[in-house]
Parts: sequence; structure tokens; C-alpha cells
Amino acid sequence: MGMMGLALAWETRIPPVAQRERRVEPFREQVAAPDPAADIMRAEDLALATACQSGDLRAYERLYALHGARMKNLARNILGSSTDAEDAVQETFLKVQRGIGSFRGQSSFATWTFRILVNTCYDARRSRLRKKEVAAVDEREDAAPQPEPRASSAHPSLRLALERALAKLTRHQRDVFLLYEVEGFRHAEISEMLEISEAASKNTLFQAKKNLRQMLEPPRHSDAAGAR
Amino acid sequence: MNVTCNDRDRIFQDGTPADWAALEAHAASCVSCAEELRGWQSLSLAASELRDYSDSRALWPRIRQSLAEQAAVAKQQEKHWSWRSLLLNLSLSWQTATAAALVLLLMLSAGWLLRPPTPAPLQSTGLLKSKALADVENAESAYVQAIDKLAAEARPQLETPGTALMANYREKLLVLDSAIDDLRAQTGQNPSNAHLRYELLAMYQEKQRTLEEILEEKR
Repeated sequence: MGMMGLALAWETRIPPVAQRERRVEPFREQVAAPDPAADIMRAEDLALATACQSGDLRAYERLYALHGARMKNLARNILGSSTDAEDAVQETFLKVQRGIGSFRGQSSFATWTFRILVNTCYDARRSRLRKKEVAAVDEREDAAPQPEPRASSAHPSLRLALERALAKLTRHQRDVFLLYEVEGFRHAEISEMLEISEAASKNTLFQAKKNLRQMLEPPRHSDAAGAR
Repeated sequence: MNVTCNDRDRIFQDGTPADWAALEAHAASCVSCAEELRGWQSLSLAASELRDYSDSRALWPRIRQSLAEQAAVAKQQEKHWSWRSLLLNLSLSWQTATAAALVLLLMLSAGWLLRPPTPAPLQSTGLLKSKALADVENAESAYVQAIDKLAAEARPQLETPGTALMANYREKLLVLDSAIDDLRAQTGQNPSNAHLRYELLAMYQEKQRTLEEILEEKR
């Protein structure tokens, strides 16, 4: 796979605190009983959509306060640049304002907004490729840009390795991984954003993580022995 | 619930909480599954390295400005396109009905403009306008007064006709007066009818000639 340079010893790089907080993903999908908090969120989401439809700029400010940081983070992970990410978020808000009349509430307002954001990011990437503004960009549709240096993190080498590995995934695998693992959306929400089934979202995440593990994991002892 | 190594991928892909608990229990006694499980969960934790929700407040004023500008442009366009948007906002049935009404209106307008020229009614050319009618009636009145003067002069001969010719003149004048009375009654009902006026004039002229002939006979 040619990714041995990215190999990481996971257990030594992930802090103990993080290991204690580890998440088991299926729990996020299981909603056994009615959740009052979820009902409140849905009501607020609907109220926000209605306020935006009336043209109230304060509603857009509220939308930004709720989701702006996550939108910018997702855009940065897709586009690899903070500047481009901010442009994409701004363009997304303009598209939301232009298209709010067509929002019928089939999905949540936040989901609808993130779908616009994802499409806007890929439009921006295609446009950037056409203009050849970035010389070193892989010409393939699925290729991700080289990430720019970001604010310091606890494990910069781990982050860099993950970014490079993500760049090797297909577009759908990268989107699902970012939306699920980084931004914390549920498969039901991701399926609405990417217009795929929930099963496809789960399967794509599985494939993405499998590929990432192969790229990031150090060679196994058995493999090394086999090589000898 | 018992799980084996073969169940691992299925649980990774779409396992229930019970499946995950069973896999963790299995991993306690299976080195291979323990390693896979640890690696799998570590990937989720590594993803947190891609989270950077640092302060993005500086971006909002820029977005707000562009939203306000776009709203202003949209409002201006709304004024220009209000009729168009009204039509587009109508339901399909109303749009169809409006289109049908417009087509009908166009067809009626075209039919009206392209209609063959209709001949003017005969009577309309003979109709007199009010001022012309007053002139005619004044002239007629003067004419009638003049004829009455002639009739007054001829009255002695007509009251005691001495000859058969004079008796014939008297009969003729009675017929003419009767015809004149009928025509006057008709013109009273339809004063603008020029045809009746011409007939009445002809009757007066005939009466005038008859009276002149009576007076000639007297001399």
C-alpha cells in the first residue's frame, strides 16, 4: 500500500484520558425510548428554519452560533485550507438564504445545511482544480488536497498521518468518516446529507476504517516474519 | 450471547450494543480480536485530532454582511418580478386557468380586429343630426305657412266648386291633406328619418302645384 511511512503505534500515541473516554459507536445509533432532549432540539431546529425563512438575520446568526465551528472544521478537513473553508461556509450561508424557500422539513434544518456545505466544498474543489490554482493537487476527483499547517494539537504527527491517509480514501469514505467520527453525526443524519441509505453509510464507514487501519497500522509480526 | 472471531467484522459494521459487549467479552480471551478491537476504537479516538473548533467569531461579520447584501438585492428583484412570482406561486390548476383565460382573451381580440367590415345600415345614412333636423323643421314650417296662405286664397273656389275640374281639385287636395297628415304623424314619431321628410316634401310640393293650378283657373 506504500503507506508504511505513516505507520503509528496507536496505543502509545493516544493519551490515557482519551482511551478512558473511548466511544463504542453503535450506542450513538440506538434510541430505545423517546428522548425529551431530542424533541427540544427538533423543535428548536424547526423554529430556526422558520425564522430563517422569514429573513431574520438573527436566525442566521443563531445557526452560525450552533453549527458554524463544526461547519468550518468539516470544510477545512475536506478542503485542507482554513481560508477556503471560511469561503465555503460563507457561500453555504448564502445558498441557505437563497434556497430556504425550498426547505420543506423532510430532514432537519442542520442536516440540510450540512448537505449544502458538503456540496459547496466539492464545488469549490472542482473549481480550484479547473483554475489550477493549486499546482500540487492530485487531478483525480476523489483526491484530497494537501492539508495546510493548523493550530497545534496534542498529537500533531498522528493528525498529519491521519490527514494523509484520509486523502487516499474515496470521496464517500472520507465524507462518511469525517461526518461520523470527527463531527459526530449519526448514520441517519449522514444518509440524509449524502443522499445514501443508512446501510450504505455504515458499510462505507466500515470500509473507510478498514482502509485507514491498513494504512496507519505498523506491519504485524506475522507479516514481517512472512517477509523474512 | 456468544460471538466468535467470524462475527467481528459484522459487529464493527453494524453491531448492536449487546454485540459489542459480547465482542469485548470474547476479546478478553482472544488476542487477535483484542488487537483488532483496540485498533478499531483507537481510530475513532484518533479522529478527534481532526477536530479544531477554535474561535470562528471573526467569520460571522463577513457572513452577515454578505447575507444583508444578498437580501437587499433579492428585495429589489422581488419588486420587478412581483407579477411573475405571483404567477409562479399559483397552483398548477390556477396557472392553467389563467393561461386559458389569456388565450381566450387573445383570440377574442384577434377576432374583433380581423372581423370583416359590416355594411352600414341604410337607415343610418338617412339619419339627420339634431342641428340639421332643426333647420329642416324650420324650413318646413315656413313652407307649410306659405302653402296655407295659398290654400286660404283658393278656399272660396273649393268650398263651392262650380265645375267638375274644381270638384276634382278639391278631391285631390283632400287626398293630399290626408297623406300629409299620415306622413306628419310618422315623422313626429321618427323625426330623423330623411326618407319620410322627402315624401312629406313631395306631398307639400304637389299640394302647392294643385293650389297654384286652382288659383290659375280663378283668373
